[in-house]
Amino acid sequence: MIEVKNLKKQFGDVQAVNGVTFTARSGAITGLLGPNGAGKTTTIRMVGSLISIDSGSAKIDGIDVASDTDGARRACGLLTDSRGVYTRMTARENIRYYAELRGVETARSEKTLARFVEWLDMKEILDRRTEGFSQGERMKVAIVRALIHEPSNVILDEPTNGLDVMSTRALRELIKRLKSEGQTVMFSSHVMQEVAALCDEIIIISHGRVTAQGTTAQLLEMSRKDNLEDAFIVLSDVPAAPHTRKEAA
Amino acid sequence: MWATVRTVCKKELTDHLRDRRTASMIFFLSIAIGPLLLIGLTQFISSVEKKAEAREVFVQGRENSPQIVNFFARQDVSIKDPKADFRELIKQGKHGPVLVIPKSFEEKFQTGTAEVELVFDDTRQDAGNASIGVLRRLMRGFNAEVSTQRLIARGVAPQLIRVVEVQDVNLGTAAQRAAALLFIIPWITLLVCVSGVTAIAIDVTAGERERGSLEPLLMNPVSRAGLTTGKWLAVAVYGLAVAALTMCGFALTLTFVPLPNLASVFSISPAQYLGFAVTMFSFAPAVGALQMLIATYGRTYKEAQTYVSYLIAIVSMAPVINMLAQFKDATWQLFVPMLGQLMVITRILRGETVTALHFLLPFAINTAISVIAVLLISRLLTNEKIIFGRA
Repeated sequence: MIEVKNLKKQFGDVQAVNGVTFTARSGAITGLLGPNGAGKTTTIRMVGSLISIDSGSAKIDGIDVASDTDGARRACGLLTDSRGVYTRMTARENIRYYAELRGVETARSEKTLARFVEWLDMKEILDRRTEGFSQGERMKVAIVRALIHEPSNVILDEPTNGLDVMSTRALRELIKRLKSEGQTVMFSSHVMQEVAALCDEIIIISHGRVTAQGTTAQLLEMSRKDNLEDAFIVLSDVPAAPHTRKEAA
Repeated sequence: MWATVRTVCKKELTDHLRDRRTASMIFFLSIAIGPLLLIGLTQFISSVEKKAEAREVFVQGRENSPQIVNFFARQDVSIKDPKADFRELIKQGKHGPVLVIPKSFEEKFQTGTAEVELVFDDTRQDAGNASIGVLRRLMRGFNAEVSTQRLIARGVAPQLIRVVEVQDVNLGTAAQRAAALLFIIPWITLLVCVSGVTAIAIDVTAGERERGSLEPLLMNPVSRAGLTTGKWLAVAVYGLAVAALTMCGFALTLTFVPLPNLASVFSISPAQYLGFAVTMFSFAPAVGALQMLIATYGRTYKEAQTYVSYLIAIVSMAPVINMLAQFKDATWQLFVPMLGQLMVITRILRGETVTALHFLLPFAINTAISVIAVLLISRLLTNEKIIFGRA
């Protein structure tokens, strides 16, 4: 479970995140939906303890991100838009490196890896050097290496960005599988259909704040619209506070 | 933390060993530089010696003074005619010095003091200038012989005009004389060591940023200090390997390649090699750490390369600064990386006394540099501008 309370972050004089509060439940898929520069990535980076929190709190399975950073990192797997892999190493070696850094025993990480290889259809690329991998192949390596320690919380920042249909589909299947195993899955996106198709709960973020929250049905009701796209436009259209135009990082 | 250090170091070492192009370039550069340099030096020295020893001098107007020609012949010196435009050629460094005997020589010689000209260009440092000394010495000898004969003819003891007899007593051993060239060995070794680790030092820092692999790496529940130390250790291992290979290159060449005119000078004992190695032992990791620190500011490999090249420029200048400023070996130099190492290694090779201070002080300084650089990099890796700032 991921609990975020009144999270704030300022870059220079830009208030990127301005009091975001939400909860992502276990065994559910929570989608962070918002226009570009709404504060999604900054929120995710704070939850993933990649950047410091100005005020407010973020807890992963009850572990406070700010006070027990390593504990929180162990409890979650995070995929950001930085998906660089080491090109002189094979996919397996890239993943094993992270398993070792996280102190996962080889036997165990091999078992986890075998599962992911099947799910993501990675058999052919597993022992190839990652030089020349396609975006989709790189994403697969990046996601497995982020989840090799079997965290109970999975955070994905715009995971389908730049992926082709096949890779997007594989990823969608993976997200569903993780949910069925009882994990907390949270992902951000600005693609409406994706969020509508997958999420149990949608959180709309705009200008650094949560402007609406609920299931697809609830959001439609709130906005009195009959499709999510229109609902999104209504619900994210709140007046901007001074200096909250753009996400800085 | 140590598990992290081990994991990171192991990964970086394998990763970079697979970078065949860089690895083989470094390997061949470090192993080949010693032999190439020493063989080049031998050629250079023997050509200097040959020209200096060459009992051949250029004389214009030999018909004007049979005495001089006769004297030169008795000294086993053969006379060659210079080319017609020798003055121009000398300026261009294409002609050796020329002794010019004017037409009026014989007449003046009989009546009093005659003059000859010695034409050369001392801005030309090429080997031909060695024969200026030969010509001067010959003329001084001729002068002495003629004046002695004249004094005797007048019934005067020749000692009368030799109030002080100057005898050359050169205290410099052969090794010390060549020590002027000896600085090349430590200089090149240090330089190869510095530039040899550049590629890996940049790749483990700016390279991670450019690839977009830094952010996920930092998501692991491990300390930044552990990550940085692991990377630094890998860079240090590379640096030490480069230094060791370079030293091997020198050692193998000196042992197995006959270098007649260098043999006496560059006979380096195992103990000297050991002192050399000990000095390199702390230097290589320190320059690695320093380059990593600088490269961390680079968003791309290229950007980092530009930053690091400043450091390399300074390092390669060190011996030049040393020569121009005419620094005498002084304790303060031990505090300056590169200068300190140069001084200690040169002293070792020259066979001069080296005390514990010569090893301990640079070791302490280098260790401090390594530790501070690693700590600074660890801190930089918490800086949001560094983590997310991508080109």
